[in-house]
Amino acid sequence: MQLLAMPFMQRALLAGVLLGALLALLGIFVVLRRMAFFSDGIAHASLAGVAVGVLTNANPLLTALGLSAILAAGMAWLERRTKIASDAIVGLIFTAGMATGVILLSFKRGYQPELVSFLFGNILAIQWSELILMAVLAVIIIIFIILKYKRLALMILNPEIAYLSGVAVTVYHTLLYVTVAVAAVLGLKMLGIVLVSALLIVPVSTAKLFAGSFRSLMFWSVVIAELAVLVGIVISVYLNLPTGAVIVLVGIGFFALTLAFQKLKRI
Amino acid sequence: MSAISVKNLTVKYGSQTVLNRLSFDVEKGSITAIIGPNGSGKTTLFRALLSLIPHEGSVKIFQKQAKDVLSRIGYVPQKFDFDRTLPITVNEFLSFAYGRRSLKNNQICHEVRVDALVDKLIGELSGGQLQRVLIAQALIKTPDLLLLDEPSAGIDIEGAQAFYDLIRHLNTEHGVTVLLISHEINMVYSFADQILCLNRDLVCNGPPREVLTKEIIEKLYGPEIGLRGHKHL
Repeated sequence: MQLLAMPFMQRALLAGVLLGALLALLGIFVVLRRMAFFSDGIAHASLAGVAVGVLTNANPLLTALGLSAILAAGMAWLERRTKIASDAIVGLIFTAGMATGVILLSFKRGYQPELVSFLFGNILAIQWSELILMAVLAVIIIIFIILKYKRLALMILNPEIAYLSGVAVTVYHTLLYVTVAVAAVLGLKMLGIVLVSALLIVPVSTAKLFAGSFRSLMFWSVVIAELAVLVGIVISVYLNLPTGAVIVLVGIGFFALTLAFQKLKRI
Repeated sequence: MSAISVKNLTVKYGSQTVLNRLSFDVEKGSITAIIGPNGSGKTTLFRALLSLIPHEGSVKIFQKQAKDVLSRIGYVPQKFDFDRTLPITVNEFLSFAYGRRSLKNNQICHEVRVDALVDKLIGELSGGQLQRVLIAQALIKTPDLLLLDEPSAGIDIEGAQAFYDLIRHLNTEHGVTVLLISHEINMVYSFADQILCLNRDLVCNGPPREVLTKEIIEKLYGPEIGLRGHKHL
C-alpha cells in the first residue's frame, strides 16, 4: 500500500490502465485484419523518430508519434496504390526506420541507456507530461473505436460490402493504420519497441478462446489486458524485475491457463 | 427502362486490357447472368460498375453514378475470407452492415431462412448458411439492384436450387433487378432473362435461347466443354 502512495507508481498504474484498454481494443482489429507484423514493424520503425527527438532535444515520444503516424499513413497508401505485398511494405519500413534510428543515435554520446529504455520500456519512469499526452490520445482513440467499431470491423471483413454500406473505406483503412501506429508508440513507454505488440495480440488471443460474440470479445480483451498490466506492474516492483517483460509474461500466463482450462473442459 | 446502362466500358491493369469497350443495358426488374471463363473479367466488371476501380467509358445505375445510389445496391461477394476463429455472431455481422442492433424479427431474415442462425457465430456456419447470411446482408437494406458474384459456388445442388428459387422469388415478388455472375450455364439458361457472355470483350448479349448457341459456348469455353456440358442447347 505504501507503494501506491508514491507518485511514480500512481503514474505507472494510470498509464498502464489507459494503455491496456487502448492496445487491447485495437488488438482486436489487428488480429481481425491479420496485421500483427504491421504493429511490430511500426514500433521498430519508430526508433528513427525516437532518435530525432534525442538528437534535437525534443521529446522523443512526440517525434516518434509524429513519424510513426506519417509512416503508417504512407504504408496504407502504398498498400492501396501499388502491387507491393503488405508484408514487404512493412519489412521495408521496419528495417529502414530501425537502421536510420541506430545510425542517428550513434551520433549521440552515451545514448545506450535511452536506447535500452525505448527497446524494452520503463513505465515506472513515466513523467506527468507524457502521461497527459498519453491520456488525451488514448481517450480519443478509445472513443473512436467504441463509436465506429462496427464500421471498422465491416471494412476489414469485406471492403466492398462496407463501401456499399456507406463506409468511407479509404479513410477508415488509413485511420486504422494511424491509430495502431500511435497506440504502438504510446505503448513503447510501457513495453518497449520489442514487446509492445504483445499487448495488441495476447489479450484478444486469450479472449478469443471463450468469447461468444464480438462485443464480449471487446469486453474480455480489455479485462485481460488490464489484469495483465496491473498484476505485471505490482509483481515487477516487488521482485525488482523489468516491468514490460513481466507484463508480457503475465499476459502469456493468462493465455496458457485459459487454453489449458478450455482443453480440460472438453475432456 | 434501364437499371444499368454501360457504354464503352474499358478497364486496364497497366498495359493489359481486362475489359474492352463493353456496351450493354440491364432492364429494370430483369434477371441478367454474366458468364465467361476464369479470368474473363466478370468480377472486374462488377468492381467497375460499383466505381471501385478506375475505368474508361460511362456506367450509369438508375441513371446516376454508382456512388450516388449505393444505398439502392445489394452485393454478395464471391470471396468472404476471414479469421473463422473470431467470435462474430450472425446478428452482429448483419448489424455491422445494417446498423440496427437486433434483426431477430426481420422479415428478410425470415425469408432467406437466416432467423434461426442469428445467434450462431459466422465462423461456424456451413457454406450454404454463410451464403444465406451474405444474401440477407445484401437484402436487409431492401435494394433495387442485387449484384451476386458466383452466389452458389461451394453450395451443393439442392442448396443451389433453393438459392435460385429465392432469387426468383425476390425478383418476382419484390421487383429486385438481379445481375449475377455464374459458372452454371445450365442453371442460368432456364433462370435468366438476359445473358451477357464475357471474355474481355462482350461476346454475346440477349435472351438465353437466342444467344447461348453451341458456337458461343465453344467460343467462350473451348470445343470440349461446349459439347460435353450443354447437350440441351
